[in-house]
Amino acid sequence: MTRAVDLDFRPEAPAFDANAALGRRHDRRVSVDDAAGLLAEMDRAGVERALVYAPHAAAFDSAEGNAGLLEAIGDESRLVPQFVCNPTFDDLEATAAQIEAAGVRAVRMVPTLHHYPFRSWVVEEWLEWLSARGIPLWLPASYEANWHDGGDLDPHAVHETVRQFPDLTVVLCEVHYVQASWAPPLLRSLPNLSIEVSRYVIVDGIARLLEIVGPERVLYGSRFPEQAIAPQLYHLHRLGLNAADLRAVCGGNLERLLRM
Amino acid sequence: MDSPVIDFHCHAGSWGRYGVDADCDLYLKVMDAAGVDRSCINCIWFGDARRGNDLVMEYVSRAPDRFIGVAFATPHYPEEAVRELERAVHGLGMAYVKIYPDYFGLPNDDPAYFPIYEWIDEQEMAVMCHATYPFDPPGTTIEGRFTALSERFPNVRWVMAHTAGTLDADAAETARTLPNVYMETCSSRTTLGATEFNVERAGEDKVLYGSDMALMDARHQIAKVVTADIPRRAKEKILGLNAIRLLRLDDPAKGGAI
Repeated sequence: MTRAVDLDFRPEAPAFDANAALGRRHDRRVSVDDAAGLLAEMDRAGVERALVYAPHAAAFDSAEGNAGLLEAIGDESRLVPQFVCNPTFDDLEATAAQIEAAGVRAVRMVPTLHHYPFRSWVVEEWLEWLSARGIPLWLPASYEANWHDGGDLDPHAVHETVRQFPDLTVVLCEVHYVQASWAPPLLRSLPNLSIEVSRYVIVDGIARLLEIVGPERVLYGSRFPEQAIAPQLYHLHRLGLNAADLRAVCGGNLERLLRM
Repeated sequence: MDSPVIDFHCHAGSWGRYGVDADCDLYLKVMDAAGVDRSCINCIWFGDARRGNDLVMEYVSRAPDRFIGVAFATPHYPEEAVRELERAVHGLGMAYVKIYPDYFGLPNDDPAYFPIYEWIDEQEMAVMCHATYPFDPPGTTIEGRFTALSERFPNVRWVMAHTAGTLDADAAETARTLPNVYMETCSSRTTLGATEFNVERAGEDKVLYGSDMALMDARHQIAKVVTADIPRRAKEKILGLNAIRLLRLDDPAKGGAI
C-alpha cells in the first residue's frame, strides 16, 4: 500500500492565496462573486488570507474596478486588495495617490488584455514608481475570457524590461503547462522574478521550479473563483517539502513580498 | 482512506514538447506521493499503435502491481487495428481501450471507428475518449452522440475523458441517463465546483478519477476529488471503487484481482 490519500486534509502551513479575484464578471456568472462567499470557501479550504483583484478592473476600467474592490472588501482584513493598473491610459499620479490612500500592497498589469507591449518605453515610469515604493507587480501569463484571446505574455519583453528594474519584484502568475517551456528559463534569468503556481500542474513541475529558483520565489495561488482553492494547496503538501519551505511557498513568501 | 486508489487516465512515454520524460521512477514517485495504488496507462503518441502498446508493457513489466495496461487503437490503419487489439488485450492483458479521435480529424462516432467498437463490444470492455471535438458538426450533443453509440454497441462501456473536470451539463446528463457511460476528472483546470456538480448530476457511481499523468501531476489532479465538498463514500468510489467495478479488477477470473 502506498502513502494514503488524506480525505481530511487541512493545510499544515498558514495559507495565503496569491491569486484570487473578487467581484462579478461581465461575461459570465461565476459561482462565487462576493466577499462572504470567498471567505466561506477559504474557510473550507483552510486558507487564512487572500490577495484579491477585481475582474472589472482588468476587463473594463481599472479605477472603477479598483474602487469597487475596496468597497467589496470593506474592513475584512483577511482579504488584501491588489489594484489592476493599465499604464497606457491610467494616470500614474492619480493611481499612486489611490494606492497609497488605500494601503494597497500589490499591483497587477495585464498587457495581453490591455494591448500593449510590456516594454520600458511603455511601462518605465510605472515600474520606477513601483520599484521605489517596494510594491510588487503581478503579470498574468495570459488572460482568459470568452470574448478575448490576447495570446500569451511576451516572455522576451518581460525579460528585457524586468532586468532593467532589479529592485522591483515581479510575480509571473497563471502560468499554464503550455508556457512551461519559457517560464523556468525566464525565472532563472531574472532573480527578481517569482512565480504563482495556480495553473502550474505539469508533472513534477513545481518540484523542478523549486530546484531552479528555490523556495523563496514560488507562491501558492488558487485562481479563484475560476478554480477551486484547495487542490493546489493539497498538491504542495504532497511535494515532500520541509516545514520551512512549505510555509514559505504556502504563504510566507507572499507575506514577505507584501511586507506584511 | 482504506479503499484502493485507481488512476484511470494516464499516458506512458516521453513528450519532449512539454518536457515530459519516459521516466518510470518519477511516475512511481508521484503515484506514491499522491496515494495512487494503480495507474491505467496508455500510449497514444505513435502512429504505430503496436509500438505504443509495447512501450506501455515496459511500464507494466517494471511494476505489474502498480500499472494497468490500456490498449491504443487507431483507425488510421484499419487493417491493423483489430489485430493489434487482439494482441494487446488477449496477448498482453490490457484492461480497456483508448482512442484519440483528435488525431484522426473525425469524431468518435465516425463509422471509421465502428470496427474497433464492434470488437470492444464483443469483449464487453471499456473505451475512453474525449466527448467533444473541435471539428464536431454544428448541433452535435454529447447525449445524442453517446445515445446512438450505446444503442449500436450496447456492451461497450464508454468513458468520457475530462468531462468530470468541467461544468458540462450535457456530459453529466449523458452519464446520468445512459447506464454504460462514465465521466473522468482530469483537466489542466481545477474548475470550482466541478466534482460536486458532476456527482450531483451524474451520480457518484459514474465518475472516475484520472490525472492525465505524465502530463499533469497526480498530486494535483487527485486533490480535486480529495478536497471536494462531497460525501466520503463518494470520494472512495470516484478514487477507485468505480474503476474496480468498471474494469472488473476484483474478479480473479479476469486476472486482475486487487
